[in-house]
Amino acid sequence: MKISFEKFHTLWNGQDDFRLRELDCGILLKAVCLDTMCDDAKVSAFVLQPLAYIGKAQSLSEVEKKLAAGTGVRKPPNLFAATEDFTNGYTLIFDKSDNCISVDTRTVVGRSVAEPPTSMVMRGPREGFVEDVKVNITLIRKRLKTPNLKIINLAVGKYTNTAVSVCYIEGIAEQRIVDDIVQRLQSVKTDGVLDSSYLARYLDVSKTFLFRRVGSTEKPDIAVGKMLEGRLAIIVDGSPMVLTVPYLFVEDMQSPGDYYENSAMTTLSRSLRFVSVIVSVLLPALYVCLQVYNYQIIPLRFLITVLNASEAIPFSPLTEMLLVLIVFDILREANLRMPSAVGISLSLVGAIVLGDAAVQAGLLGAPAVMIGALSGIGLFTMPDNTLILSLLRLVVTFIGGVMGLLGVIVSTMTILVYLASMQDYKTPFLAPFAPDIPEDRQDAVAQVPVPKMKKRPRSIPNENRDRRG
Amino acid sequence: MDKNRVQVGQLALLYLLLVMGGKFLTLPSLLAGDVGHDSWLSVAFSFVWDGVCLCFLLWAIKINVDSRMDISAILDKSVSKPVTKVFLAIFFVIFVLRTNILLSSCYKMFSVTFDVSTNWIVFVLPVAALAFFAVAKGFNAIARMGQLLFGLILLAVAALFVSPFLEMKFGTLLPIAEAGWGKILLTSYTRSFWFSDYIFIYFVLDGIKVKKSVFAPMLISFAVGAFLCILLNAVFVALFGYLAPDFDMAMSKIGVFSAANTANGRWDWLTLSVWLVSVFIKVMVFIFCAYKCIEKLVGANFVKFNWIAAGIVLSALSLPLFVSTEQLLDTVIKWGVIPFSLVQYLLPLLMPLLTTVAKRKTEAVYE
Repeated sequence: MKISFEKFHTLWNGQDDFRLRELDCGILLKAVCLDTMCDDAKVSAFVLQPLAYIGKAQSLSEVEKKLAAGTGVRKPPNLFAATEDFTNGYTLIFDKSDNCISVDTRTVVGRSVAEPPTSMVMRGPREGFVEDVKVNITLIRKRLKTPNLKIINLAVGKYTNTAVSVCYIEGIAEQRIVDDIVQRLQSVKTDGVLDSSYLARYLDVSKTFLFRRVGSTEKPDIAVGKMLEGRLAIIVDGSPMVLTVPYLFVEDMQSPGDYYENSAMTTLSRSLRFVSVIVSVLLPALYVCLQVYNYQIIPLRFLITVLNASEAIPFSPLTEMLLVLIVFDILREANLRMPSAVGISLSLVGAIVLGDAAVQAGLLGAPAVMIGALSGIGLFTMPDNTLILSLLRLVVTFIGGVMGLLGVIVSTMTILVYLASMQDYKTPFLAPFAPDIPEDRQDAVAQVPVPKMKKRPRSIPNENRDRRG
Repeated sequence: MDKNRVQVGQLALLYLLLVMGGKFLTLPSLLAGDVGHDSWLSVAFSFVWDGVCLCFLLWAIKINVDSRMDISAILDKSVSKPVTKVFLAIFFVIFVLRTNILLSSCYKMFSVTFDVSTNWIVFVLPVAALAFFAVAKGFNAIARMGQLLFGLILLAVAALFVSPFLEMKFGTLLPIAEAGWGKILLTSYTRSFWFSDYIFIYFVLDGIKVKKSVFAPMLISFAVGAFLCILLNAVFVALFGYLAPDFDMAMSKIGVFSAANTANGRWDWLTLSVWLVSVFIKVMVFIFCAYKCIEKLVGANFVKFNWIAAGIVLSALSLPLFVSTEQLLDTVIKWGVIPFSLVQYLLPLLMPLLTTVAKRKTEAVYE
């Protein structure tokens, strides 16, 4: 396939980092590269030095054979592929007849593999994904030493041409799901993909606007664990977050360290997370509606305490609770955006000064502040969905405050119907609870010891259910 | 994915929730008014007949598994299109009326038990919105939600039964059949409007996924539901004796007998709220069926949510604004018992035959 050097030159000439060297090796060769994307030492070692000592060559094919020091030497099939290689840091060598070869001279820029700040564990591997797709694939392949690990490479984004790798285990992942996901990624029409979260939106089949439908992890051991259950891992160049699909709601309850701890402890901590989430969303609403409409439910002594504490408050219980929740959300949002040192001070200012001062000044009642804080802390047991749960908490509280228990029941049921109706890639979002899949409950909220998990989950489509064969 | 497709297990759990959903509100006091302490016998007789009809319907499901015909197709092919329309119209009236009675009982319960008095429309609109949302999401979503909440609801019912246990005086149930067997049987018939919860199955006939047996899970579910309903009636009479007809909200009144509740706050109200979820699930299922009736009556296939059909159902739900529930019930019992019995009790017995005929006709067309 001929690639017009003239066309290529016209496209790139004038760029500050564009480098062109003309070399005479028996035939006239032109080597081009982008200075900013190439490693000078590699250009020298894999291109210039071999060409300098090559002697007389008859054709570019002969040159290609003699560039033995370069690990990645190939013939790009067209101008598009040549441009892609060029922008990725390859050096292109053209001859007079517009034949072209590309030599891998990419520079390695990026951070080294380290423990991801969002998924720290007490026990277990501490390696985390980085921004380089190649390193990330290495981290996966290091754990999956099998020829069945398949990687499909794609380029997505009109201008960014971002490298995307779809990884799966052949014989475990269902081929129809693989084809569906690859097709979806190939059909993405966008100018740029700067992070894996961009692609997550395209992989969300049911276009949900509330809950995430695509998992993400920064840890290769987690990604491999999910692939062993039949999921696919999607690595996007420039992002340390690797996407996993299909995705279940219960995955939000699972923490990276769960598989390295005693299964009884894991069951206990997962149950706590589960209860925390329910309490976080419903407690403020129940507090408000019980106080406003159904105070008879509250035990008398507790009721007296609550009434004493909120007697002088100038707001209605609903307004008071909404204020507490909104202030908590503001503090959380500000805390996330502050440098860590300032963040700690801000938390203290928020918790002690704002909360205590508001109670002292008689603007907010201590029970409301306590319930707001308890609910807010509970949300962080499900860190990936904190924001959406926080929003739901506000909505349920508002409806509960306006309509009482009826409102709480109706809004909770609406959320459940919504969750129960979600199903992407043949995977019901609430599995293994709705629909009930008893075999899969071995690793949902409760966890059986790892040696007893002999079957892969049925909730995730897979081609081989037996983990032992 | 077919959003209306359900597994037999899901259907069985949903059926159990439906059986428990409506019969714990006003029915026990109405029955006690009719036949006194023999109300539980009346309930038992109703369930015997329900059980027979359910078996026939399950047989029809078994015949229909491969052909996956809906009720409209079965009746069209086995009887005739006009008759199908008549049946569907009766079904629509039943579902709308039963939803109205259920909602009206809930409305009363909220105002009596929870001291929350509100306008009918303000009460019905959110529940109807929830039901229509569920209709849009598909029957499968309702079944899955039922599955998710089943354990919790069952626990709430158990808690409500257990709390007044020491106060129950089962001696009040004696002598058995004091009201006379004839009157007990007649009451079973006149109050049949509350029973035959299996009628919703007609509208999901084409979406039932059968892996093993359809009979075992459904009949277990039926037996548990029937047992709980008979038990509730017995418990209700055992607690209130001859005063039972005066306490119209059975479920919420039972908790009054728990000494622990009065000392430590009305925690039974919270369990009651959890149980109420089953009533709302029943409302959702009935509204789904009413919506499907319209779909089949106009002969269209609403792939997306149809606002006109929803509007018709919603208008029917505003009936209690013009007629009181008591008036509505009297009229229903007076005029509706016969046509309703036709679809509640006669049609299920004929369903295996009708399904076989429809199936043969379909196969003949393909051949």
